[in-house]
Amino acid sequence: MATNDGSTIIGETITVTGNVSGEEDLTVRGRVEGSIAIGKTLIVEQTGVVRAEVQAGNCVISGVVVGNIAASESVEITKEARMVGDISAPRVIIADGASFRGRVDMGDVNVDAAGEERPARIAQPVRPALRPPARPERPAARLPERVPVREEEGSDEEERSFPPSKPPAPPVPVGLGAVKRKVIVRRK
Amino acid sequence: MASIEKAQAARPGAQTVIGTGFVVDGEITGSENVVVHGTVKGRVTLREALVVDAGGVVEADVETATLEVAGQLTGNVSASERVELKAESQVTGDIRAPRILISDGALYRGSIDMDVKR
Repeated sequence: MATNDGSTIIGETITVTGNVSGEEDLTVRGRVEGSIAIGKTLIVEQTGVVRAEVQAGNCVISGVVVGNIAASESVEITKEARMVGDISAPRVIIADGASFRGRVDMGDVNVDAAGEERPARIAQPVRPALRPPARPERPAARLPERVPVREEEGSDEEERSFPPSKPPAPPVPVGLGAVKRKVIVRRK
Repeated sequence: MASIEKAQAARPGAQTVIGTGFVVDGEITGSENVVVHGTVKGRVTLREALVVDAGGVVEADVETATLEVAGQLTGNVSASERVELKAESQVTGDIRAPRILISDGALYRGSIDMDVKR
């Protein structure tokens, strides 16, 4: 009797009608109807039935809950659970097999926090991974290659400037024709 | 989950515990032992024992089989078997029960009726 860590247990045959409030854990194996406001974790076991408005830090539901839950940290609905009601919590876990009907609100603040975290997580590993290999390889190997390539390209351009000079080559045949004419002239 | 196992091991007969700092405002009904370390207001109806631990506060009309008080109780009590007011208890209200024990040091104000024919 003297030893109590502050947690509360509502046994299987017990029905509590009214308001339950406290700062420690609450485990429900029986029935609670009304409202629950606790600071730590609400555990609704498989035999537990809660018909109440719930405010808690965390909720772990394996039984039946009919009512809205507002949790400051998390709500976990296990595979045995059946719940009807709205959930407002930054973290909501719904296991495969759980029965749930209601709205879920994880809040705007946490979306922002997650938005700040996610780009940071992606950016930090990805950018160093791409940049360091990219910089040493390309400047060392490719840039020198590119520079000669560009020089070669420049020479190519100069060479390419010749092929356009090849079309002027037809004047050469003209010249040849002139030569032929000369030949013809000579035959005459 | 660990706290549940602790409670079961420590007190197999008492499945229900109202912990320190907890306030239940309303009605508690059932057929098993209830131990109160916190506060209960309203009405308590049990077929087994209600134990108000030292530090526990009950402001309620109580109907139960046995009642054991080491804390504070305010309200009328009707027990089918036995009521025990322990040394540090503070009780205010009428008590109806076939057997009533008041220990030395208990603080009690109210009327007692042991003539319960059930």
